[in-house]
Amino acid sequence: MSNAQPSQPVPAVVNLEVDSSCRFPLLFMFLCAACWLVIGSAFALISSIKFHSPSFLADSPWLTYGRVRPAYLNCLLYGFGLQTGLGVALWLLARLGRTPLAQPWLVVVGTLLWNAGVKLGIFGILSGDSTGFEGLEMPGYAAWIIMLGYLVIGLSGVLTFHQRRERPLFVSQWLILAALFWFPWIYATAELLLVAFPVRGAAQVAICGYYQASLGMTWLPLAGLAAIFYFIPRLTRAELHSRYLALFAFWVLILFGGWTGIANSAPLPAWMPALSTVATMLMAVPLVAVALNVHRTLAGKWSMVAANPPLQFIVVGSIAFLLAGLMKIACVAIDTTCPVGLTWLTPAQAQLNAYGFFALVMFGAVYTILPQVTRVEFPSTRLVRAHFRLALLGLLLTVAPLAMAGIVEARRLPDPGIAFMAVVKSTLPFLRASTMGDLLLALGHVLFLVNIAGWALRFYRPRVAAAYAAATADLSALEAKS
Amino acid sequence: MNHGPLIFLAAFFALAGSWSGFVLAPQLQVGQLQQTNTLGGGATYPQARSGLAQQGLQVYRANGCATCHSQQLRQSGTLCDVVLTDAGTNQPALIAALLTLKCGTVPTEAEQRAVIPANTNLPAAIQTWSEADAKQMLARLPQPVRQGMTKEQADAAAKTLTAAGAKAQIWIVPVGPDLARGWGRRRTVAEDFLFDNPVMPGSQRIGPDLANVGARLPDVSWHLRHLYAPRLTEPASTMPPYRFLFEQRKLGPAASPDALALPAPWAPPPDYGIIPKPEATALAAYLASLRAEAPLFVAPLTLPVASAAPAKPPAP
Amino acid sequence: MNPDATPSPSLLSDAAEPHARPTPAPVWLFVLLFLILYGGMIYFDSHGGSFNPQVYAPYRSLAGLTLYQPPASGPDLARGKAVYENVCGLCHNTDGTGKPNQAPPFAGSEWVLGSLNRMIRIPLLGLSGPIKVKDQEWNLAMPNMGAALSDDDLAAVLTYIRRSWGNQASAITPEQVKAVRAELGNRNQPATVDYLNTIAP
Repeated sequence: MSNAQPSQPVPAVVNLEVDSSCRFPLLFMFLCAACWLVIGSAFALISSIKFHSPSFLADSPWLTYGRVRPAYLNCLLYGFGLQTGLGVALWLLARLGRTPLAQPWLVVVGTLLWNAGVKLGIFGILSGDSTGFEGLEMPGYAAWIIMLGYLVIGLSGVLTFHQRRERPLFVSQWLILAALFWFPWIYATAELLLVAFPVRGAAQVAICGYYQASLGMTWLPLAGLAAIFYFIPRLTRAELHSRYLALFAFWVLILFGGWTGIANSAPLPAWMPALSTVATMLMAVPLVAVALNVHRTLAGKWSMVAANPPLQFIVVGSIAFLLAGLMKIACVAIDTTCPVGLTWLTPAQAQLNAYGFFALVMFGAVYTILPQVTRVEFPSTRLVRAHFRLALLGLLLTVAPLAMAGIVEARRLPDPGIAFMAVVKSTLPFLRASTMGDLLLALGHVLFLVNIAGWALRFYRPRVAAAYAAATADLSALEAKS
Repeated sequence: MNHGPLIFLAAFFALAGSWSGFVLAPQLQVGQLQQTNTLGGGATYPQARSGLAQQGLQVYRANGCATCHSQQLRQSGTLCDVVLTDAGTNQPALIAALLTLKCGTVPTEAEQRAVIPANTNLPAAIQTWSEADAKQMLARLPQPVRQGMTKEQADAAAKTLTAAGAKAQIWIVPVGPDLARGWGRRRTVAEDFLFDNPVMPGSQRIGPDLANVGARLPDVSWHLRHLYAPRLTEPASTMPPYRFLFEQRKLGPAASPDALALPAPWAPPPDYGIIPKPEATALAAYLASLRAEAPLFVAPLTLPVASAAPAKPPAP
Repeated sequence: MNPDATPSPSLLSDAAEPHARPTPAPVWLFVLLFLILYGGMIYFDSHGGSFNPQVYAPYRSLAGLTLYQPPASGPDLARGKAVYENVCGLCHNTDGTGKPNQAPPFAGSEWVLGSLNRMIRIPLLGLSGPIKVKDQEWNLAMPNMGAALSDDDLAAVLTYIRRSWGNQASAITPEQVKAVRAELGNRNQPATVDYLNTIAP
């Protein structure tokens, strides 16, 4: 692994070639992802309002809480998260390899398949075909379309990596390649063994836990860290503090991340939750490694963060990564003595991880990539800043109330003298407070969609206008002659 | 150095590791489980659910009931009760044994409680019992003499009692916050879900745990009423009403036997009845079939002797 | 600096791609990793149950689980058989097939295999009136043959009936018999099917 001296600045012409090859596929992917985010927020709002009034929209089986909440989670994870992660990963592979995106039509076909699959899947969940497994609710008939879409997009990514002109690897490429390979394995395992040819009995619980851990504690960190390790040095024009620290985090993450999925209360023999507990404790090591790396990279550059909204997204995202990891470790450590696994602390940590870390990092990445590939500067950063503020505030107003509700529950539920309904009642104020957070996040997502649509419009409108003018110029010349 | 294949191999081995640990091994250990026998009784466990209950499982899945309800009970420990079942013929020796149980290696305050027979004026702690108290207690057997002991302590206590010619049993009592809340008598184990597909243990307790709900609420009509109007049975409930599982039908000349008995605010207009749809009936049958209290080798417990008198319905 | 302006894209495109310094990872990080691994091994040793599929938390080992198993005192089928042949088999036949116009069969009977609360009451009270056994109507009068038996004997014979001739049901303990006896108190009317149906299974 060379890379002993900084590489030469890349000729502008190569970057133009790379960026223009990515332009249409990425715009398409990000636009679709933003739409899913807005739809998902609508579902999140509906499910949150149901805690204010349980009979809100309760007469429609399509909008019952048990269908709408999984629909929101699947929109966030599959509609937005995986799609944006793949888009950012493709751009990173192309840029770091100094090669244009291989076979961009593959990415477009894959995106079409992916979105068709997610559409079918969300429709399936709302119509009652949910599989019953958390994180994997989309029915089988949608799952294979999604898998196919991922494989097609992943193929383009692997080809791009293979054709790279810059042979030495940057850390992000390690993470992305591992992620490209990771998802098909875990998704195929989960779908085949849980939905297509279900295993018997409680073994399903183990496999579902394996999938959840491999997705939330491994794939999302792989893709998110790839973006963090690239964009923070890039946007601050610094060097990444340590390649070895980053790779160390990578190794520990992939070796132990998939083992963290079994809860202490699961109906499984004792060794499975025990291994999961140990693996979760081990996750402290990559957390520390990443925190150290990011902190030393940003040393002395903190003033640049305030001036650069996409960088703000990414830095807050890396802080959220640290906090989400610490929260998970704390919950698992406490769970051995005081049951917290089945309280609101679990969704709070999941939200901090999937949204606070992954989504925010992806927002920052998208806001950096889009001006790059379209070569169009955004006229004013006010909308991006507004999105950042809404996202941050919304994140705080969803995670903090849910976490507090979880703490209240964890303290009161073990006492059999307190009636169950009294415990639920004491968590309600916090759940209702989180509706505010969901509203702010929804507004932020609308802004996100508006921003991306704005970029697309700004890029394509002059071209369409020019093409139209060129087409009609001959006509008017002919008219002038005659 | 060509790192592409190296990264691929790294990811492959990492995945293979977690896959063997949490996909292959569970399939070998738990996925190959067969029916087992209950302790003592020898009945096979679990019994396959009735067809209606299996349909109910699918309704449970389709409506995402596992989003709010868990089906996983935890157990933080196992304690033993020493129960005197037969006084035997040597009453003086037995009373002496009962009184000596106070002395010697007495369990700590936290670990032991004596049982107070109802409607007596026996002193609360066995340490203060006198001979007269012990005689009074012997008149109403079977009687737990000690509760909340460890196995060794319980064995020693039972031995003392048996040596005096009495018959004593050791009852195994799982303990934990979930169990103390009345949600079950033991933890849930893999055998409880053997025939279910999909297995939905849930991850939240926005509603009570349902692993053993069929034992504490066996009445199907309670479940139907609860599904139609959760606030009927629990005024502050946050559960949404599942009215779409029911239909309001004009009644014929005779009252329909299936119509729900609903009090005033929820009752339909006169001449109309709320009839559960097949999904509701199936779901209620599934909920009434949820039991996780059979004593098993992996989760031993002593079930209290079944009495003919129906117990007062507990709070959910 | 104009707070509204993004860094110009041209700046990003002309700069070099990020580079990672080859700073070595600090040793204390590896020490931390090994410390956590060590602690994890100790935790797993105590809580993991040695990968045994039968050990569920809170039990720590198979030995610990076995400690809590009930004593291996099986139902005394020999005693039950002896009592059966002296008392019940005279009318119900030694192979449990019953005798027409005298006594219904036991083998495969739903009254034997079902609720034990109901089954215990039949010998204690006797049975009169119509009763359907295995899709056949019987209408005879059975005296309360079990009233004179001790709890142990009655429990043994009822368990023998529930475990013989292809029947496979749970055993009945003397405690259960005693509890039912206590509930019946001084009742001396024979049971009927309607009465039995009011008893919870």
